[in-house]
Amino acid sequence: MPGEGRGERVEVVLIFQSLLGIYGDRGNATVLVKRLAWRGFDPVLTVVEPGDRVPDTGRVYLLGGGEDAAQVSAVRALRADGGLQRAVDRGAAVFAVCAGYQIVGKTFTVGERDEVIEGLGLLDVTTTRGPVRAVGELLSHWAGHDGDEQWITGFENHGGYTRLGPDAEPLATVEIGIGNCDDGTEGAVNGRVIGTYPHGPVLARNPALADHVLSLGLGRTLDPLPRSEVAELRRQRLAAVRKTSR
Amino acid sequence: MLRDTSRRLSPAAKARLSAATYAGRAAALASRLTGRGSGASIRGRVMLTLDPRALDKLLAARRIAVVSGTNGKTTTTHFVAAAVREWLGDADRIVHNADGANLHHGIASALSEKPGADVAILETDERVVADMIRLGRPEVLVLLNFSRDQLDRHHEIKALGRSWRKALEAAGPDGPVVVANADEPLVVWAAEAARKVVWVNTATRWIQDATLCPNCGSTLVHAGEADVAAGAPEWRCSGCPLAQPTGDYRVTDGAIVDPAGQAWNPMLQVPGTFNISNAACALAAAVLLGVPAATALAGIRRVTSPAGRFATARFGDTTARLLLAKNPAGWAEALPLANTPTVVLAIDSAAADGRDVSWLWDVEYEQLAGRTVVATGPRAQDLAVRLAYAEVEYRCVPDLATALAGHPEPVDVIATYTPFQRLRKMGGV
Repeated sequence: MPGEGRGERVEVVLIFQSLLGIYGDRGNATVLVKRLAWRGFDPVLTVVEPGDRVPDTGRVYLLGGGEDAAQVSAVRALRADGGLQRAVDRGAAVFAVCAGYQIVGKTFTVGERDEVIEGLGLLDVTTTRGPVRAVGELLSHWAGHDGDEQWITGFENHGGYTRLGPDAEPLATVEIGIGNCDDGTEGAVNGRVIGTYPHGPVLARNPALADHVLSLGLGRTLDPLPRSEVAELRRQRLAAVRKTSR
Repeated sequence: MLRDTSRRLSPAAKARLSAATYAGRAAALASRLTGRGSGASIRGRVMLTLDPRALDKLLAARRIAVVSGTNGKTTTTHFVAAAVREWLGDADRIVHNADGANLHHGIASALSEKPGADVAILETDERVVADMIRLGRPEVLVLLNFSRDQLDRHHEIKALGRSWRKALEAAGPDGPVVVANADEPLVVWAAEAARKVVWVNTATRWIQDATLCPNCGSTLVHAGEADVAAGAPEWRCSGCPLAQPTGDYRVTDGAIVDPAGQAWNPMLQVPGTFNISNAACALAAAVLLGVPAATALAGIRRVTSPAGRFATARFGDTTARLLLAKNPAGWAEALPLANTPTVVLAIDSAAADGRDVSWLWDVEYEQLAGRTVVATGPRAQDLAVRLAYAEVEYRCVPDLATALAGHPEPVDVIATYTPFQRLRKMGGV
């Protein structure tokens, strides 16, 4: 195998695509697997569905968006299984989007009666129903990054508002959109666990973030992998979101 | 001139509807003359502003069939209308919102143009179904399918199904007979509340939105092929009795089998297995309205390109067939139909398309590997990135006219709603 990966096997685990994949979130898995393959790694995508055991052998675990019932079903199954927690203890990276982000937090609420559901506790965040649903293009500024890669572009669509506790750092600061709870922060980070709201899917639109997630799972940095079509898409989406303020 | 449909109204109510209708007509004419569109929507809007009860009045004293679902509404409504037309032999007795304007305004507009028609076949947006059950008291309601679509405004798929179920419960014995797709759990759960249901096994392909039971939230179990062949339901709930009902009609090996067990070769002029499913639902609806099955199918077979779908058009020297796909379930059906060596895919994110194009990643564009793909439309670049990750070769040509120019061989075009409408206009279909 050519390239820096030298044929190394890397397992990416997509958790409950059928429950947590409503906003094309499987695209995040497609992007990670291809970016590994293009670098000469030997990626393996494991799609876990309810009823399957969650393997603890993966380097990166992905969770995406879903409706209330799906979210509750997913968190119960993940708590009962325990595989994701073991994987995190072994140094795997977790990248959780939208409903998935809420699930990896401490608590979130569902339904008209705001029933409180216990999350997985991988991030020190809590989510409650917000005053207005956040729907639209989201632009944020990735903490600690500069140049083009500092901009995280995506589309947010969530009714829950998320507040960070002392053990979570925001992933980014909001430039345009709502983000966590309209407090200027977006997403959360704790060690190798990242939660965020934008889909798009977000890793397709933000290759530097995709490679960062891979680096966390692999425990080393990766060489750049420039792709002209992604650069052009970023140029277009950044121009569009700045032109049409929500 | 509103004699037929307003005969049960008071003189004052009639006068108000009449004034609203004339004002709507004037607005529609103005819209057409200034080139802004067909005027159907503005006509309805003006009418409902001047007479908020215009829709109720226009629905009164007609026999009504309503067709709804995420995909296939327009084609199925055309099928039902063609079946009824074949039977009555008099197009003037039928009113049909043939252009797909399926919200309150569009329906009111279509009805106002044919006050003398005593049968109304109405395509109805998913959000308007509950109102139509309440206001129109339809005889027949066709519920085709339910899948993720325009999630930037329909935040929860289940909420729509819940509104259908509640409206059917409220209508009770006055409610419609429902023709329902037995393959779709959310449709089945909603339709169960009807006084009577005619089930259709449609051989549905998309099951990504059928993971959890709409009734109790438990996981749905999808049976293997061997079990289904042995007569097991294709899906059942692991926590409650909800399961796929046995179809009164079923689609099998390209044929429609009716409740008497007779197999009909559909011989449609529109392509695709999903249109055989749509035809099966239309046949069931027509039979409920009193149309003999053979007559209904003779009518259904006359449908060629409902509201431009599957139409072949000329764009300069290029011959192109137009396919519409609005969401992942629609793309899953449309992509296998596109069989030309060069395929043009047109993507937009206007309100009618859904402003969020993340659904592109739910579509298996990988199946286009080895073909020539032209990505076009305002969101062509989003598709380009999707195709790059699918390792499908493509050219990105955002301008529609340029993308369609200069193809020596016929091309199939698959477009989301807004570019589809633009292509119809450009191609005159």
